[in-house]
Amino acid sequence: MKPASFEYLRPESVAEAVATLDLYGGTARILAGGQSLVPMLGMRLMRPGAVIDINGLGEELGRIEARGSETTIGALVRYSEAETSPVIAERLPLLGTAIRHIGDRQVRNRGTLGGAIAQSDPTGEVALVALTLGATVLVTGPGGERELAADGFFVGSYANTLGPEEMITGVRFGVVPSRSAFFERGRKHNDFAVLSLAVVATPESDGTWHDVRIGMGGMNDTPVLARAAAERLEGARWDEAALAEAATLALRDADPPEDVRASAEYRAHLLPIHLGRLLAGLAKEPRHG
Amino acid sequence: MSGSVATERRTGVLGSSVPRKEDDRLLQGDGRFTDDVEPARSLHMAVGRCPFPRARIESIDVEAAAAMPGVHQVLTGVDIVARTEPIGVLRPVPGAVQLPFYALAEEFCVFEGQPVVSVVADSRQIAEDAVEAIWIDYEPLAHVTDTLAALEPDAPVIHPDRMESNLLASNPQHRGDAEAVLRDADVVVGDSFQIGRVAPLPMEPRAVVAEWRPGARELTAHVATQVPHLVRMQLAESLRLDEGEVRVITGDVGGGFGLKLGLYPEELLACRHAMDLRRAVKWVEDRLEHFRASTHARESVHEFRIGADADGTFVAMTDLYTTDLGGQNSGFGSAQLSSIVFTGPYRVEDGAVERRVAVTNKTPVGAYRGYGQPEVNLARETLIDRLARRLGRDPYELRLQNLLGADELPWRNAAGALYDSGDYAQCLRMVAEAIDYERLRAAGRGPGEDGRYRGVGFTCFVERTGYASAKFLANRGSRYGAHESVTLRANRSGGIDLYTGVSTFGQSNETAFAQICAEVHGIDFDAIRVHAGDTGATPLNTGAFASRTLIAGSGAVREAAQELRDKTLRIAAGQLSVEVEDLEVVDGAVVSRTDPDKRVTLADLHRAAIIGQGLPADEQPGLEATAHFEPTDAAYAYGSAAAVVAVDAETGEFEIERFVLAHDSGRIVNPGAVEGQVRGALAQGFGAALTEELRYEPQSGQLVNGTMLDYFVPTASDLPAVELLHTEVPSPVTPFGVRGVGETGTIPPGAAIANAICDALAEYGVEISSLPITPELVWRAIRKAGNGGESREG
Repeated sequence: MKPASFEYLRPESVAEAVATLDLYGGTARILAGGQSLVPMLGMRLMRPGAVIDINGLGEELGRIEARGSETTIGALVRYSEAETSPVIAERLPLLGTAIRHIGDRQVRNRGTLGGAIAQSDPTGEVALVALTLGATVLVTGPGGERELAADGFFVGSYANTLGPEEMITGVRFGVVPSRSAFFERGRKHNDFAVLSLAVVATPESDGTWHDVRIGMGGMNDTPVLARAAAERLEGARWDEAALAEAATLALRDADPPEDVRASAEYRAHLLPIHLGRLLAGLAKEPRHG
Repeated sequence: MSGSVATERRTGVLGSSVPRKEDDRLLQGDGRFTDDVEPARSLHMAVGRCPFPRARIESIDVEAAAAMPGVHQVLTGVDIVARTEPIGVLRPVPGAVQLPFYALAEEFCVFEGQPVVSVVADSRQIAEDAVEAIWIDYEPLAHVTDTLAALEPDAPVIHPDRMESNLLASNPQHRGDAEAVLRDADVVVGDSFQIGRVAPLPMEPRAVVAEWRPGARELTAHVATQVPHLVRMQLAESLRLDEGEVRVITGDVGGGFGLKLGLYPEELLACRHAMDLRRAVKWVEDRLEHFRASTHARESVHEFRIGADADGTFVAMTDLYTTDLGGQNSGFGSAQLSSIVFTGPYRVEDGAVERRVAVTNKTPVGAYRGYGQPEVNLARETLIDRLARRLGRDPYELRLQNLLGADELPWRNAAGALYDSGDYAQCLRMVAEAIDYERLRAAGRGPGEDGRYRGVGFTCFVERTGYASAKFLANRGSRYGAHESVTLRANRSGGIDLYTGVSTFGQSNETAFAQICAEVHGIDFDAIRVHAGDTGATPLNTGAFASRTLIAGSGAVREAAQELRDKTLRIAAGQLSVEVEDLEVVDGAVVSRTDPDKRVTLADLHRAAIIGQGLPADEQPGLEATAHFEPTDAAYAYGSAAAVVAVDAETGEFEIERFVLAHDSGRIVNPGAVEGQVRGALAQGFGAALTEELRYEPQSGQLVNGTMLDYFVPTASDLPAVELLHTEVPSPVTPFGVRGVGETGTIPPGAAIANAICDALAEYGVEISSLPITPELVWRAIRKAGNGGESREG
């Protein structure tokens, strides 16, 4: 690693970190797990005026808290902590499943959930789950705290609505539907997804499904919701025809990229097939137990 | 004094999986790689590289960079052309201009990543800052990156001063009249096969630490290389030094795979700077540089045809293939072995093969494990399956029908290669049995309960290991020999120091050499210490490549060990007053077979010999032997593989459910090391077959995936389970009957998997003609087949 020179700062509180961000006028970058920032520094693709290392802020940012119906995950919580957390296994099983598709063990031991959301990778698993579950991104900046809905937070490839002098302090999840499923296909094990899918819904005893949300990664320049597909399935019985229609409707919200991993055409080909299979698998699961 | 020497006699050390000598230090973090070498007051080098595929340098302004605090020196192409000689080519393309190159481009750049300026500073960071501060005006020139497009009449000629087109050479070889035979053949299958460009990707990138002591006139270059003695020669030539003034030390090398064969520009630049500055200069390649400045491999297009009689008998094969050299030559250049083994292990009398070498504006291509053999194997073996389908024959049976029989060997193939010995059909039968081919065939292709189709793919291959002789190499203008040289020196602890110019880069050479030495001499394996890769301490040798180390090295070790043993026994016979024939080396001592009380420890005997006291009257002091050994012929390893693959016909996604390889590496010195070599090479074979491909964007000429982020080298999680089977037919042309083994695994994956997928999807009529085989490629192949063989516009 041979980055261009930068100031290295290690604040002792979120307030100090935000003050430092403000001081550098938006040219500073937050260092959490460093799984994206450090390689970009090494390749000189990023040349921040300062690197603000928040790894000393575990007290403020390192907790997983279950309070009433809400679950709040601090920005510094490592993937591997979330992966093995009984709270997340019980309350946010979709997140627990998705995290196992992130990088390798070393990456998951270092990388953080706050970092993943800040990075806003179009194929990022945490961003996809946050969007699909309708999470709230907790942000602190010079003007105080803000709460931003994940739906609307991701505005482009590696771009979000976080201000340059703001930092993410956590992500909050509410009540989530009772069923979930996750799928990811990459060019190699746990590589950036060619296609990733997250589905949540609650089946009712009358055979209909509710609170249906479908998230897609790798199908646009941000993770996106397959709104038309979800609408088709909302309140409906998931018979073969409904699932097939929904799988095809997902293409309406997709504008897949063309890159070294796959062509846009192939991604579009895969989407309805894998979404259809994922939905069918979910529909087939026993309703209780 | 001799307490450190193990006293337990190891019996049968040759052929046993003794733990590798190298692993003690490597597993304890005590390996010493080039980057671990840190002389006092070391300086650090960074290299500025051409960002264009082809450009003319209009001006270079180094003033600001040279003035930066901490910067010691900046060199440009003008300096280098004036002060060094071009870097020579070790393995020239026969019949071609050599295209030697300077370490820095003077006026014209021919690939993205070509070194243009070098800076030495107090730290790598400062050197990188300085590189950024150098202002270079480039005039981008018309470029061509596609291999075949480079040979079109309208392609820009990349080296107009030395070539009239981008065709560097054509090397045809033939036997009989293949064209006439093909005209008369009952059936002919043929196709064009595209093999992707890949990166060998050793874990340790290239590295150099150069030190110059002007008073001593000694340049010490620590270089991560497979060929220290050849790099020494090249450094001396380019720096205008005597060879005696250059010492190359490799230490531990973190993988080579053919990429670290010969001198590269950066090693020369670090030496030039060190000589100017009289300070140690270090450069360790980073991965971004590695993807652009270290040699690539494999990229080629093969136009292959097979002719057969109606009964399936092969009557002729031809292969007209074009390899992509990149912008200029490298130490070894593009692959040459496709020609040697193009007919594979089959009975083919008439054949013609022609290699064409195309120059393109891409990173130079060099040797890589397999070196042409995986490429041609894909073409030939997928066509054999197509021939089987055309004839309504089983591809397994068709192969058995055409494989050379054990009694037909030795056999000279149409390219002149002499296959020495073996039972080719045995390996094929073994893999068919292992996967229970009969049962699989009876079960049908599916779709099965999981909705997937299942297919079986076979491939059979021969692999050239080692070189025929120095004479063979001389005909090709190669600047190295075919021999290996080893020095054995007794030490006063009762052990033997073994000195070899074969550097240690993961191929288990230290272990294998010590096993052979122990076997021949009788000394304990643990009492042998191997010193590898220091030109100041080892005999001039050839180097480690072409699966040749053991073939040549085992002969040298054997001869040196015999000589040392003979003298040891003579001295002992004198001291013990017994006949030499009565003595043997056991448990660290020379012992009388008839009277075990008559014994002298090796420690005592070595001391006597080293100081010349207590020797028989007619013996000279000293106990040391050097031997040089050149094998008479290359040995041909061989094998067969079978893959069972489940394919999702909707998505093109597939899974390798079984992969069985049966191979013969002749007499096996260390089964554990052999298995490690085969599995490691298989991993690289799967990578090139399934995921790895360096892609250039034709319009910009830029490498678009030159990072570990976007280049899909497989990890352990990505590899299928592999089942290995061995036979052990000794080669008659090598010491102990060994054959080379390092490259075997790279050869079969592509063909076996392609054949399995096409077999699974036989009802769709799917054909695969390129590597890597991605799910998207399979999907497109399905779509093309479903559309009457025509590509549909997307």
